[in-house]
Amino acid sequence: MKCPVCWAEFGTGAYEALAGHMHGEAERSDVNHVMWLNRNVTKTRTSREELAVMLRRYMDVAGLGLVGWMKLRFVERFFGSRPHPFVVALQHPSRATLLGYVLEHQHFLKQWVRSCAYIMAKTDREDVILYELDNVNTEFGGYGPQRPSHYELLIRMGESLGLSREEILSTGPLPETQRALEVWDRIGRECHWVETMAAMHGLELIANRNLKNEMREATVGYFDPAILEAGSREITEEAKAFLREGYEADVEHSEEALRLVDKYSHQLGLVEGVQAVFLSSIDTFSGYLMARLQRAQQFEGRNC
Amino acid sequence: MRVEGTGCAICGSTWGDYWEEVDGQSLFFCCSLCATQFKNMVQEVKRRTGWKAVAEVRMAGDYRGRECTAFSPDGKEYSFAIWFDSQGGIQGFKPI
Repeated sequence: MKCPVCWAEFGTGAYEALAGHMHGEAERSDVNHVMWLNRNVTKTRTSREELAVMLRRYMDVAGLGLVGWMKLRFVERFFGSRPHPFVVALQHPSRATLLGYVLEHQHFLKQWVRSCAYIMAKTDREDVILYELDNVNTEFGGYGPQRPSHYELLIRMGESLGLSREEILSTGPLPETQRALEVWDRIGRECHWVETMAAMHGLELIANRNLKNEMREATVGYFDPAILEAGSREITEEAKAFLREGYEADVEHSEEALRLVDKYSHQLGLVEGVQAVFLSSIDTFSGYLMARLQRAQQFEGRNC
Repeated sequence: MRVEGTGCAICGSTWGDYWEEVDGQSLFFCCSLCATQFKNMVQEVKRRTGWKAVAEVRMAGDYRGRECTAFSPDGKEYSFAIWFDSQGGIQGFKPI
């Protein structure tokens, strides 16, 4: 098993060792370990023994299965009783929110291709390679003029909101986005391909519209689907096209990828590693979504 | 300066052992990031209100955003919402 913060390695099921490590890091006030404990397990200092029990409970996949556990942790983080601020903003998004989305997400999608390429470079499983090829084409390559990629639809959304393609493409990522891209790149370089699959494709749960019905813990979806309705003039047609594409593609993308993660993590004995890297990735994703809001602030109160 | 509870001055956690002086008083924080956030918050309140010191801060919320009320030594109140970037800098601040 791995530490979900620094990926330090421990033996299979070695929760006492993991707890000892986290306790030690917390005692020396290490920001990342303390923050992780505060946000995920408990804010109250406990003994190593109690912490081992709590960590075991938090990581337990026995009841839900690995995929159910991933969905639960994702929902708690982004769609729970206190949804992520970007999810709140996207329910009925302002022009500024959508532009924040465009300018940061273009960089995410380029990293996406690199991350999928790492998976393909490291695996010899045909079903995984075929899945990744299709995913990369949908997200970035596109299938000709009739089916533009998610990346192209994103840029068109930005253009419909008043930015030129040149302005969009020449805007670099905010530092928070850059930090996130570096984490995902490191995951691709250093982790097993099954862990990378969980880290990246687990993030597609963000637009999985089934989650809200499937998980009672989910209080909202990624956005209010009413904004996509034909009669709604809340967002531009290009913004509808972009959001609709993700809304339709990401159910299949995330479910199929998680099915592959489930299959291979059990087959290769990687369940605990997958859990740790997935938790790292959703932590990173939370910060990245805040960067979209930070970028949006630059456009608040501005019409062009 | 008075803060609620016995844990970290900003998030309430009792992990860690990090102390920093704020307005002449040594305060407990769980980590350096929370200390940075707290100091930035106090500084911003003083800048916006013109107060020389902050006597107390009450907070609700979590790392995604907090609603706070600050009190001056002579009993004035100032309420605001605040959220931080990953380095502890103020990403958003709205008077309520």
